[in-house]
Amino acid sequence: MNFSRSLRTYLALHSWPVFLFLYAPLAIIVLFSFNRSPVSVQFTGFSTAWYTSLFHNQDILAALGRSLELGIGSASLGTVLGTLLGYGVYRYRAAGLAWLGLLVYLPIIMPSIVFGISEMIFFTYVHQFTGFLSAGLLTMGVAHVTFQIPYVALVVYSRLVGLDRHLFDAAQDLYANPWKIFFHLVLPVTRPAVVAGFLLAFTLSFDDFVISFFTSGPDSMTLPLYIYGAVAKKGVSPEINAVASLMIGMVLVAAITNLLVSRSKEQAQRPSRPWLRSH
Amino acid sequence: MASSLGTTERAHSGRRSERFALGFVLTVAPGALWIILFLLAPSILVIAMAFLSNGDYGSPHLPMTLDAFRRVLGFSVLGWSNGNLKTLWRSLVQSATAAVATILVAYPLAFFIVSRRSYLRPLLLLMVILPSWTNQVIRTYAWMELLAPDTSLSHLAQESGLIAPHMGLFPSDFAIFLGLIYNYLPYMVLPLYAAVEKLDWTIVEVGRDLYASGYRLFWHTVFPQTLPGLLAGIILVAIPAFGDFVVPQLLGGNKFLMLGNLIANQFTSTPDWPYGAALALVMLCFTFAGLFVFRRVARRLGRGEGQIL
Repeated sequence: MNFSRSLRTYLALHSWPVFLFLYAPLAIIVLFSFNRSPVSVQFTGFSTAWYTSLFHNQDILAALGRSLELGIGSASLGTVLGTLLGYGVYRYRAAGLAWLGLLVYLPIIMPSIVFGISEMIFFTYVHQFTGFLSAGLLTMGVAHVTFQIPYVALVVYSRLVGLDRHLFDAAQDLYANPWKIFFHLVLPVTRPAVVAGFLLAFTLSFDDFVISFFTSGPDSMTLPLYIYGAVAKKGVSPEINAVASLMIGMVLVAAITNLLVSRSKEQAQRPSRPWLRSH
Repeated sequence: MASSLGTTERAHSGRRSERFALGFVLTVAPGALWIILFLLAPSILVIAMAFLSNGDYGSPHLPMTLDAFRRVLGFSVLGWSNGNLKTLWRSLVQSATAAVATILVAYPLAFFIVSRRSYLRPLLLLMVILPSWTNQVIRTYAWMELLAPDTSLSHLAQESGLIAPHMGLFPSDFAIFLGLIYNYLPYMVLPLYAAVEKLDWTIVEVGRDLYASGYRLFWHTVFPQTLPGLLAGIILVAIPAFGDFVVPQLLGGNKFLMLGNLIANQFTSTPDWPYGAALALVMLCFTFAGLFVFRRVARRLGRGEGQIL
């Protein structure tokens, strides 16, 4: 597609400010996390005091610990259930189950606020009638697994769709039983998707605020809940800027790793296709 | 002879379908039951709750009544007020303007990314998505910091007389608008980029050969091809923006309510579960109606974009 010079100029003039719009707010957070003044939104001098006080703040460290525990725990179960579901929908889709598709999409379509209050009401009654599942990390985990399942299932499913269906016929012709097919064929070929699904599930859990907000208990404050509580109580504060900056930094690290990994994969593939080495 | 063959065949297929059923149950059932038990059942509980009466501490009880729905429409012991209708209207307007604004921003941006060299495209796309990897609370909080009373943006607005001196730009409808665009822009860019990237440029060439130019060339050759991406983007932006809770809560406060934080209020500060459940039901109805309409339109266009949802 050859865009004319004037069109290219217009597109660039439109787009670079958009990137400014996307990054300026995050840059402001990082900038003010190094601000000396605790109250003002004017920059008065450089200081790392907020980061030091952060690492001595037991509440924040405990919240981070809970976020990791919740993320890893829920993502593990979510990945198992989601992988099975993704495989099942792929393998047995001949059954023509429209309702199943709708059910799998339900956690994605449902507005998160309605999702959250539904879980809250449900857990309240379950606890009232059975004594189990009092609000805390466990109820949060159950809710998180619920929204992780469809995402993992979709990732695994789309990996399976890319495969040759005859693989399964071949396995069956060789008298492999369903267990063997699952453990010796499905799991090995979907491993990248299962890993990606786990990481996605972990991120969804680690980042979730709305559903956590309604399913948490008095002793299960995770990092997003802590940040929200501090923001709602105090508004803008340098300590929150410091926590937020660290979380932005984590995202940057993840993105750079992602880029490097995909690049090294490309390079690893190159020697087998030397004719592609033109640039 | 023939009949015995038939029975063995039937027995064989019987065993196969048995195995089929077992495999289906072992793989699909755990996840499906989990969603049924922990999401479908709870949401049915919420719908039922909307028809109950409210008790002293927000806990619902029998008899069944339509009281909650009367309150949704604005009737209370104090008479009728238009507060709720205003809130619903604000949610609809905010989600529609967010969709329109993200289209205006994302459409040229998608062409910009495609116009760059092929090895730069994934990087530029990643740069668009990256901010959405940070936590939504943080992304929204960033705008509180930018729109606070002492910032240059607020000073500018104060001096031009848009807001009173010493006031910030939030809480306001404008702040909600900015927050929603900021949060949902990537979800418009992604499907639009996908559509622009696989655009069939030969159709544009044909149009040019037929002496079409400028606007006509764009509207008749380029725009129809991007329409499926546009619709997918509208679904991904307008529907979650309508139900958003974090943005109106932090940037609108109690003065600029959207449906999301009106619902939340019924479960936090002053509990009134049946009323909150009725409001949630309203949100569900609008969400599913919007989804239904946009999917219909997308299907009519005859492309596979319905796969997105």
